[in-house]
Amino acid sequence: MSEATGTQREAADRRILTYLGERWSGFFLIFLLIVFSFVGKNFFAVKNFSNILYFATIYLLLAGGETFVIITGGIDLSVGFVMGLVMVVAAIIMRDMYAAGIPDVYCMLAGSAAGLVVGVFPGLINGLLVARLRVPPFIATLGMYGVANGLTLNLCKGFPIYFVPPRVEKIGNSFVAYFLPGRGFTFFHRPPDMTADDLRNLIGIVPVTLLVTAIVLVVFAFILIRTKFGRHTFAIGGSMDAAIRSGINVPRHLVKIYILSSMFAAVAGVLYVFRAGIGHFTTISASYELFAIASVVIGGASLMGGKGSVGRTVIGVLILNVLENGLNITGLPTFYRYIATGLILIAAVFIDQLTPERRVRSV
Amino acid sequence: MSDTVALKGKQAGGWLGRNWALLFLLIETVAFIVLGSRFYSLENLQNILVACTWVLLLGVGETFVIITGGIDLSVGFVMGFSTVICAKFIVLLRGIGLPMPVSLAAGALICLTVGLIPGFVNGLLVARLKVPPFLATFGMYGIAYGVAEIICRNTPIIAPKGTGYIGNEYFFYIVPGKLFSFLVRPQNLSRLELRSMITLVPIITVVAFLIVGIFGFVLRRTRFGRHTYAVGGSVDAASRAGINVPRHLTFVYMISSFFASLAGVLFVLRYVTGTADAGSSLMLDAVVSVVIGGASLYGGRGTVKGTILGALIIAVLETGMVNLSIPTFNRYIAIGGILILAVLIDQFFPELMTRGQ
Repeated sequence: MSEATGTQREAADRRILTYLGERWSGFFLIFLLIVFSFVGKNFFAVKNFSNILYFATIYLLLAGGETFVIITGGIDLSVGFVMGLVMVVAAIIMRDMYAAGIPDVYCMLAGSAAGLVVGVFPGLINGLLVARLRVPPFIATLGMYGVANGLTLNLCKGFPIYFVPPRVEKIGNSFVAYFLPGRGFTFFHRPPDMTADDLRNLIGIVPVTLLVTAIVLVVFAFILIRTKFGRHTFAIGGSMDAAIRSGINVPRHLVKIYILSSMFAAVAGVLYVFRAGIGHFTTISASYELFAIASVVIGGASLMGGKGSVGRTVIGVLILNVLENGLNITGLPTFYRYIATGLILIAAVFIDQLTPERRVRSV
Repeated sequence: MSDTVALKGKQAGGWLGRNWALLFLLIETVAFIVLGSRFYSLENLQNILVACTWVLLLGVGETFVIITGGIDLSVGFVMGFSTVICAKFIVLLRGIGLPMPVSLAAGALICLTVGLIPGFVNGLLVARLKVPPFLATFGMYGIAYGVAEIICRNTPIIAPKGTGYIGNEYFFYIVPGKLFSFLVRPQNLSRLELRSMITLVPIITVVAFLIVGIFGFVLRRTRFGRHTYAVGGSVDAASRAGINVPRHLTFVYMISSFFASLAGVLFVLRYVTGTADAGSSLMLDAVVSVVIGGASLYGGRGTVKGTILGALIIAVLETGMVNLSIPTFNRYIAIGGILILAVLIDQFFPELMTRGQ
């Protein structure tokens, strides 16, 4: 009798530990929010949260695509440079068309479309290398990391691309809703005839770029959880052999996954052009791939594959971005975010190892 | 009869599979000699030697890690971190009035010691806490870069004058028909003589090759080396055979980190600056040189000789591109391409690739 309660209690303990091990990222995010609200001045403000989300969009997309790859047990190191390539291509086309006197709407559409089309190819090649030629994902995408970086620098000669149509930046920096204290909300455009004072008080809520990102993420989160495509993704990550035996066309699926990751990076690139108003190449020390992979791992995915979710990846991204913003607000140099990210990444893996469920599985 | 032909064919194929890197290096060199101007010259040879120093050092450290079946992504930024530490300490020591040679030596020593820390931490994480190498060293990649940027406040640290003395010296100085000097730059030369002076073998390259040679010996001939292959072959078998695997892995990651900080010290001696992204592009190069050298990412295979070949391929490519005035951006494309090519050759001639152990 007492033995039974003992094992019951043990089981309950294990459940709690497993629960904490799997959900720690959510709690950690809340913890960070609370700490920075107390420590940082003006951290707890709608404007600042809007700001955090504004800067998080790029990482949300990169990490969203990376989630799919990591669930299959692969890795995509090329996302940052694919984003840079798309950014430069899109910006060059916008600039040149605009310089040729074509109306800015067409420039934007053509530039964005070209960027997205260009974004298919790195993923296609990565996928073919990994799935058909059995190159380890790490190597295939590291090769693409070099190739995409080289192509980008060749196109832009090491300088940002300026002179895209001015409306690009306007659209990229608009918000879904504006709130002017005392005068209420307006949607998609600023309230008319504002004074300088009003401008300062104007609060933008939900950047348009975030809206686009959120739609993409929600759609793909749904695909991952509810569709055959999603189930197959998990199946491949769980066991490649089992997936093949159960009739999944694994190589084809993997190619799609790498294209997906690359397309997410392409969308990020196009949004970045809209947000920044320039086409910026990716520097190596920007380390986008570090932040993307760290976000996915902090969200509880395993590099062995078979585990991960878009929602948790979003939490991972938010942790890193809240941290960056909070560090900035408390006056620390931005470079602390690299250290913090490295530490949290390692801690995440460590916590994952500690959870009892995982320990049982690995034995 | 046809059997012997087939066998010979297979042997030839086997030779090709084992030595494609050497062949590639030869073809590449010949191509640049034909296409370039003055590529085949003593002067350019010096450029190649300097260019290969950094890749070589990081690559040899990485070789040890990859043989154990791990990966060290942090090498590039650990090198950057080391350049910052080294330059900072030289500045500091000069600042308190120590003579130049002392502050150089002390700065280099401090840097090499501090440079062991990232490797130690990586090793502990991988070996004791069972963090996958990819993630442990990726975390360190971020940490090393962040710490370096904070130390140097996002601006390159310029080391004091005279730091570059050793780094820009050569082993031999020859003024044809007149003078042959060893290690010491000849003084009081006329301008004409200066122009005709031939400088041979940069000192930093000699230092690099010396240490690479020592570690090549360690890997090939000592128990430490055999254990490294054993751990890469099978961790289980290695621990059953009585190897202290966690300890060994920690040493291996420290070696990798040592090579990165050695590269950092030599970088400061050569270019007199310390910047956090000094080695940022070298992580790719290091991994590529090891993979070209025939190592397998699954562990158990790889040689220092192969990595030297890989480093030379990259260095020749780089100098060749400069020689042909192809924009240097293309090196990333070429190196990324070579990486994939190397692995594909490895995939398609598995039975031919019985090199290494």
